[in-house]
Amino acid sequence: MLEKIKFEKFTAFEKLEVKFSSGINIFVGENGTGKTHILKAAYAACDIAKSKGGFAEKINNVFLPSGKQIGRLVKRSSVSSRGAIEVVRRLADDKKIALRLSLSNHTTKPEKATVSGSTKVWLENPMEAAYIPVKDMMANAPGFRSLYEEREIHFEEVYVDIIRKASLPILKGPTDKPRKQLLENLQEAMDGKVTTKNEEFFLRSKHGELEFTLLAEGFRKMGLLWILIQNGTLLNGSVLFWDEPETNLNPKLMRAVIGILLELQRVGVQIFLSTHDYIILKEIDLQATKDDKILFHSLFRNQGTDEIEVASTANYLEISPNAIDDTFGSIVDREIEKSMGGLGK
Amino acid sequence: MKIEADGFYFDFTDAIEVFVFDEKDKKKPTYHGLPMKAVDIVAELADAYVYVEMKDFHDPDLYNQEPAEHDEDVKKKRDNFKWLKNYLKYKYRDSYLCRHAEQKVEKPIHYICLLTLENAQNVIMQKALTRELPVGRASRRWKKEIVASCQVVDVSKWNDNFPSWPVSRIQGAV
Repeated sequence: MLEKIKFEKFTAFEKLEVKFSSGINIFVGENGTGKTHILKAAYAACDIAKSKGGFAEKINNVFLPSGKQIGRLVKRSSVSSRGAIEVVRRLADDKKIALRLSLSNHTTKPEKATVSGSTKVWLENPMEAAYIPVKDMMANAPGFRSLYEEREIHFEEVYVDIIRKASLPILKGPTDKPRKQLLENLQEAMDGKVTTKNEEFFLRSKHGELEFTLLAEGFRKMGLLWILIQNGTLLNGSVLFWDEPETNLNPKLMRAVIGILLELQRVGVQIFLSTHDYIILKEIDLQATKDDKILFHSLFRNQGTDEIEVASTANYLEISPNAIDDTFGSIVDREIEKSMGGLGK
Repeated sequence: MKIEADGFYFDFTDAIEVFVFDEKDKKKPTYHGLPMKAVDIVAELADAYVYVEMKDFHDPDLYNQEPAEHDEDVKKKRDNFKWLKNYLKYKYRDSYLCRHAEQKVEKPIHYICLLTLENAQNVIMQKALTRELPVGRASRRWKKEIVASCQVVDVSKWNDNFPSWPVSRIQGAV
């Protein structure tokens, strides 16, 4: 599992350290506070443990800076500067290892960046990770992998990675009981199960077989979760990154989705979510039990320095600042302004 | 004008009169002695009345009506929310009736509920109360409205929006 991540002069961050929960980590914050960047950097570190690729190259492919010039990921500054990411991971034997990427804003190619730390041990201990991006790719899966591999197309690698993971065949052996239960819960929520034919995904329900292009995007995302559980990508020790799960998902389905994420966490999947959605926060707060390991991370700009900082808490009511509730607060303000005018001013 | 009620301390700096609606002191002219539910505070301003009802919860989550883990739990939370909504609604209506009989409803009345819920829940409560009080001239048969506006705020939002009426918790009050 991932223990923490540190950034120095990297993308939006001047200096930031986030300590993770081994259970569910939820990132909230206004646009531009770096929620997705944290998820992507942590995902890149997880992914290379399995793919055995280079950390710098993975970071470059996942962030996709203009012209693939990795130095553009260093926080913008008027002078020459160096940036770094450090990810700390705890292995099954409780040993902690770190992986560090350091680069300058003049570094043009990933191979010129410096990767240090326990690189060898990191790669010797594979881990499963999946990153579900905001945009659904399942409906566009046929041919996308080969297109990505053969041509220069402007897509962050997370999009092709998720199709690769979803295309993995079913895990060998019988499905264990917790996974079976999770699959059944998902089937109930989306009223069917997923099948694949020639890289194309279908939802099979009592009404017949519907291709993903004809499905609501919300169901496609639930279908993807179903596949990742079924093919064993999400198992004890795996890490799931999900950027804005609320996108295209009917709020009514959120109850089932959060229930499933909590169950995945209970079977040992470490989870990272970014969200702008009140229902997600509230569902986690309502459904979590005292043994669940939940950590809310609020990213915000320090009003004095204008740099991004983080405040982490296990208590939902202590999330501060809470960009989501602040939005509702601004609705309260505007309502008062509209209906009471200058009274009490 | 300063006033204390239910563990809160208010200062309505521009008010003509402020009083606790359910005055316990029989000697005070604002004592009514009626078996009616009434709001906590009434403030009279030059061009409006403001009714204030406070509810300081120990567990705000009791009133959150968003889906919960079990259907039973959802029902309980919805019942709690409904109870609170009705409590706030009927308090206003009884107060209005009382003030109508006193011929003190000649100015627009704004109803402010000071709760300790999240902003998101306050928005939901405000919507429900606006519909059910109801706010504005709700029927074409009505010649006047019974309430001009209804707001649901926490202490911080109160102070942000009404700097002329600062509110604070009385030290030692729960």
